[in-house]
Amino acid sequence: MVYVSYEHSQAAIHNSVNTNLLVATENTGKAIDNWMDARKDDLRIISYIAENSENEKLQKYLNSFQNEHEGVYLEFFIIDAGGNIIFSTLNNPSNALKEPFLKDALEGRLFISDVSLSSTTNLPEIIITNPMRKNDTITGIMGARVSIENLYMIIEGIDIGRSGEIFLVNNKGELIFHKDRFRILHEKINNNFAVKEVIYEKRGVGDYINYKGENVLGSYYWLPLYRWGLVVEQKRDEAYADIITLEKETAVISIFAVFCVVLVAIVISKRITEPIESLKNGAAGLVNGHFKPISVSSKNEIGELTEIFNQTAEELLDIRKKLETKIKLANKDLEEKNKELIRANEELKKLDNLKSDFISLVSHELKTPLSAIRTSAEFLESEDTMDPDVEKEMLNNVIMNVDRLTRLINDILDLSKIEAGKMEFHYEKVNVQEIAKAAIENIRYLALKNNIAINREIPEYLSPLLADKDKLIIVLNNLLSNALKFTYNGGEVVLSAKEEKNYIEIGIKDTGIGIEKDKVAKIFDKFYQADSTSRRKIGGSGLGLSISSAIIRAHGSEIYVESEPRKGSLFYFRLKKFETI
Amino acid sequence: MNKNIDDKIVELIKKNENISNKEISRITGIPEKEVETRIRGFSDSREKIMIVDDEMSTLLPLKRSLEAQGYIVIEAYDGYQAIEKAKTELPELIVLDLMLPGIDGFEVCAQLKKDEITGKIPVIMLTAKDEVRDKVEGLEMGADDYVTKPFNLNELKARIKNVLKRSKE
Repeated sequence: MVYVSYEHSQAAIHNSVNTNLLVATENTGKAIDNWMDARKDDLRIISYIAENSENEKLQKYLNSFQNEHEGVYLEFFIIDAGGNIIFSTLNNPSNALKEPFLKDALEGRLFISDVSLSSTTNLPEIIITNPMRKNDTITGIMGARVSIENLYMIIEGIDIGRSGEIFLVNNKGELIFHKDRFRILHEKINNNFAVKEVIYEKRGVGDYINYKGENVLGSYYWLPLYRWGLVVEQKRDEAYADIITLEKETAVISIFAVFCVVLVAIVISKRITEPIESLKNGAAGLVNGHFKPISVSSKNEIGELTEIFNQTAEELLDIRKKLETKIKLANKDLEEKNKELIRANEELKKLDNLKSDFISLVSHELKTPLSAIRTSAEFLESEDTMDPDVEKEMLNNVIMNVDRLTRLINDILDLSKIEAGKMEFHYEKVNVQEIAKAAIENIRYLALKNNIAINREIPEYLSPLLADKDKLIIVLNNLLSNALKFTYNGGEVVLSAKEEKNYIEIGIKDTGIGIEKDKVAKIFDKFYQADSTSRRKIGGSGLGLSISSAIIRAHGSEIYVESEPRKGSLFYFRLKKFETI
Repeated sequence: MNKNIDDKIVELIKKNENISNKEISRITGIPEKEVETRIRGFSDSREKIMIVDDEMSTLLPLKRSLEAQGYIVIEAYDGYQAIEKAKTELPELIVLDLMLPGIDGFEVCAQLKKDEITGKIPVIMLTAKDEVRDKVEGLEMGADDYVTKPFNLNELKARIKNVLKRSKE
């Protein structure tokens, strides 16, 4: 604003300075015109007198006229139509004939010549001529050589300031007035804006660098009647002294204003930024979910904005809470599913491990008898003479291992059949007494050999079972032979059965070595032997319990174990009764 | 050291032909059983091989075969027995099965190699496993050779001969 007002003031001052200069120039121009008009009038009067007077009388009149005008008129002269000077106030008339005014004068017009240096006084002068007539016929020309010193004095009287310069140029740019007289018609000014303008017959005012290289404000005024250009120049410093003062003042005012504005701005911005800051904090809180409504401190737009923000924030928080709950639920769901997946994956891994363990176990179990067979056969083959007892021993070893291999393969096939669900079960009415007898019969020889008593504790009357008879005999055989294997010589194995309300419980109890508590769970694993040394002494594929357990499970039941180390074990399972429908 | 003990026993017998094993045991500080074995060893120039395997059916043909080759064969059915017998019987070579009840073949080998007396007895590992990992582990434990089951009897015999020859050099 300060700047604008400064601009305005500056422009106003500028204008007024320019206008002043222009007016001064115009006034000067008018003064010149006035002076020149007076000269023209003079010459018209003299012409008229000359037309009607005798030469002697005219001479006297002109002399007194010259005196009256104090050196303005240097000479009066008359030229006839032929161009010869027929009269002059001087004894040595100038050679005016060569002047071009003759033509104009002969055409009946007043003529004003260019400024030239007088041939007699070497001072600037002009020649004004006016035709003389007699009965509308031009009889001659009345001419006057006019010193323009008077005019100069008038021009110099105009106040153009200390640094001002005023000068006149002709249409060629030659100085025809300057305060330094010796420069007149000795100097030509070309490199000056105002001169260039004025000899294009223009009038105006402008800032420019003048022919002296000064920053000036210049006014130029064309005087067409005389083909003169009037130029008034003033140094800018001076012309615009007011403006410079104004500039200084403006600077001071500006600094003060800026200070004030900054102060005000701080105050105002604080008033604006504080609510905005709290809005910002509120928004940040909203993002974090710790939103507290912002207190509305002002009633302006920001206050309204804050209120709207509070409302929106509350709505957003509400939505957020709802979303969070939903996400929590979804996450929980995902977590559970993930856990299930992990569990399933672990089980799969476990299964995979079991599978590869099983394969390596099977391969070992298969390789061992194979190795024995091969070594025995190789030995038999390699020796030419052999102790017959050793030979028999070797052949026996071969047969034993072939049997073992066959058993193992059958067991593995059975087990994989059951596990794959491909073993067929034929459920029928099964008499417990009957299968007990059959099972015991199969192991009687082994029991006798080891001096182990096998007793049956089965009631006379017992409801029949619903079971696969052959498979059940396999289970009993496995459990009984296991019992025999782990029972010391002279021990006892009991096969029992008792009737319960809905089922019959069958148990095989021994007085054997028993099973350590930590190993009970493992005995149903394939190839697991609670005591590794047992394999050498006892044999067996290591799959008997696995198979038995699978068969009983197929019957919808389970084999249970109760055992005490060094005292014995009890294996028992429950089977459904056969019901006649 | 073994040689020194044997020399000492021979010296003692030379002094007193009727000296009892018990007396020798007392003087040398060696168990009576070992004295007995050593004395028996003086008269028997055959090389003694110990087979360690829990599978009788594997052990038996191998035993008979080696016996037929003129070796004295002693048996061990598990790791503890193997270490114990190695110390008392001082076999020239041990054929050791890896899969043993109790402590396994690797552990047996490591313990044998740690002991001053049994440490120099060459060991041939024998197992149904044929994985490279087991072989490397066995050899790291100080086994001198390795044969996988089912093995070629002639190959095993050749290896036994070879290892025995090497151990004497």
